[in-house]
This record gives sequence, C-alpha cells and structure tokens, in this order.
Amino acid sequence: MSEHHEDHQHMNIPKYVGIFAILIVGTILTYFAATIDLDWIFPGANTLVALLIAFTKMTCVMLFFMHVYWSKRMIWLAAVASFFWLAIMFSYTMQDYLTRSAGVFSS
Amino acid sequence: MSAHYSDKFVYHEPGLQHQFEDMGQQEESVSIGMWMFLAQEIMFFGGLFTAYLVFRSKYPMAFAAGSNHLDAFWGGLNTIVLIVSSLTMALTVYYAQKGNRNMQVILILLTMFFGMVFLGVKAIEYTDKFNHGIVPVAGLNRKVKAAPNAEHEVAHEKPCYEVEHGGAEVEHEYVNPHGEFLWTDCSLAKLAQDHKPNSYLTEAERIGYYSNGEIDANKFRDKVRIFFWIYFIMTGLHALHMIVGLGLMTWLLWTAWKGNYNGEYYMPVEMSGLYWHFVDIVWIFLFPLLYLLGRHFMH
Repeated sequence: MSEHHEDHQHMNIPKYVGIFAILIVGTILTYFAATIDLDWIFPGANTLVALLIAFTKMTCVMLFFMHVYWSKRMIWLAAVASFFWLAIMFSYTMQDYLTRSAGVFSS
Repeated sequence: MSAHYSDKFVYHEPGLQHQFEDMGQQEESVSIGMWMFLAQEIMFFGGLFTAYLVFRSKYPMAFAAGSNHLDAFWGGLNTIVLIVSSLTMALTVYYAQKGNRNMQVILILLTMFFGMVFLGVKAIEYTDKFNHGIVPVAGLNRKVKAAPNAEHEVAHEKPCYEVEHGGAEVEHEYVNPHGEFLWTDCSLAKLAQDHKPNSYLTEAERIGYYSNGEIDANKFRDKVRIFFWIYFIMTGLHALHMIVGLGLMTWLLWTAWKGNYNGEYYMPVEMSGLYWHFVDIVWIFLFPLLYLLGRHFMH
C-alpha cells in the first residue's frame, strides 16, 4: 500500500511553484510581446509569438499540473489526438475559406 | 457457501468500485474516461476557435479594433488569477495524495475564491461593455442620450412630418433608441490603408469596409460586431465552465471535509483538477487571442 502511495507523488511543492512561476512569466511576456510591433517580420507575427507562448504554457499545465508526463500511453494518445482532430477541423475549414476567391467558385 | 466466500476473500480497498479488479485498473479507467471528456470539450471550444479563425482571417483590422476596446489589464489579471487557482488545485491533489484533510479543505476554498474573483472581474468587464453599447444584440445595451450639441442635428435628420408633431421631445433623443451596437471608430482600417506599408487589407476587407471607394463606418462597425459576438460567446461559454467548476469544487469541498481522500483513493480530486486545469488552458488561449490583437497598433 505504501508502495502504491509513493507511485503517485511525482511532484513536490517546489516543482509545482516552479511551474507556476513559468506560467506567470509567460503571461507577463505575452502582454509585453503584444505591445511590440512585429509586423515588420510579417503581418500577424505578433499572433504567432502569442500562440507560441500560449502553447508553451499549455504544455507546462498539461504535463505537470495534469500529470500527463507520468500517465499511461493511452492518456498521451487522448491528449495528442484531440489536438490532431482540432487541426483537421482548422485546416479543412480554412482550405475552403482561403480559396473561395479563386477558381471556378469565385464570384 | 460462507466457507467458499471466505476462501476467495482478498483485501479490498475501501475506495474500489465492485466492477474493477484493483485500484490501478480503476484509476486507469477513470483517467481515460475523463480525458475522453476533455477531448470532446476541446472540440466543443474548437468550433468557436474555428469561427474565430475564419472571421479573423477575413477581417483582421476590425478584430484588432474590437480587441483594443477590451481592457488588457482585466484580462491579464484574470489570467493570473486562473493560474494561481490552477496552482492551488494542483496542490489540493498533492495533499489529497498525502491524505492531509485540512490542507485539502483550505486549498479547495482558495481555488473557489480565485474562481469567484475571476467571475467577478468578468462581471465588471461585461458591465463596461453594456455601458459602452457594444453588446452585439440590439436591446441589450444601455441607451445613450445624444450629446446636447448634437440635438439640432438629430432634429434635422428627422423626416419633416415627424418634426411637426414631436419637435418638443428632442431632448429625449437617444443615439441608440433600441440599444443598438455602438461603434464609430474605423481608424484602424484607415491606418492599415495609409500608414502601415507592411500591413495590408485582406481581400474581404477591401470589399467589406468600403462603399464607393471610401471607408464606410457602418460597414466597419458590422465587422467589429462579429468580433464582439465571438468575444461574448467564447468568454460566456468559458464563464459557464467556471460556474460548473465551482459546483464541482463545492462537492469536492464537502467530500474532502468528510475526509474521503487519501493516498489510495484520491481520483475524484485528481479528475476535478483535470477539469479545472482544462478551463485554465482555454483561458490561456482566449487572453492573447481576444485581448491583445491590436496592442501593437496603439502607438
């Protein structure tokens, strides 16, 4: 029983606080990155930076707060597959909307 | 009969449901069930993120204009409040695994407190939008009285047959008599057109903002209204998830108070935690995608 107990104590308080600090720094970084004009790289570069930070924060929450890092393969599959489906929804929707102005269906 | 039963008897953890072989199998089943639920929640919000993607790719400048009206301070504060509540939730699971009842109760109360702070800030923001007349549904906004110096213009705009009868009621004129969506600022469309050589208007914008070759304030307003529809639906659905989460926390508080959880049986805490962290993750994306779109145009 005590063996079972220790199986689940992967994180300790300093580690939780460390992840928390990363999330707070990420939030502050998101705000200041949004105030800098990055349109000289390409229009919408600000959004790309914001999304990269958001994905990093999400990965930290999922791996350590939600304990995916120590979970079974099946949990990894569920977590990754949901984003794969999301990507299918985004890409098939956008390949329609982004091409409506060209070709036989343009008006 | 009883001899047969006692032959088969093995130690049985108090938290084990009868359909499972052991705690390990029960925990695995519960986790997979919860993650399937979260996967469908991702698709649930995913539909709205898709709507956001479609309309933002069509009208980026209108979205930036709408976003600049949101208060990034409140949005950022709420992000931090939710991250703190995620930390207290993660620590609740930690202490549930330790079987520390008092710390569980304290941390669940803290999590609920931060959840309610989040909803309070949201209420402040929604009130501000209502007062500024930018709730997208006609009739929901505060009616704004026309400025005194604008009264004459309002009177002149009236058809002649109405002025004859109701000319004395000019001081009661509202700029949005039915609580319509109020938006007059189309400066970002102008900015993209004139001063931002690296920015561009999309094809949809070149059609959607203009009439007779001029930027049309009303057409721009309609595109901003799309942004606010998406803003209210997404943050509203997120707030609904927060309310459900608070209900979950109330139940968790009661069961933790009774001392139900320990190193062998803590899955209800862990699963409620997964839900809470999921709601946090949605907000991690909503904050930059709704509040920070046009900040870099503001100087």
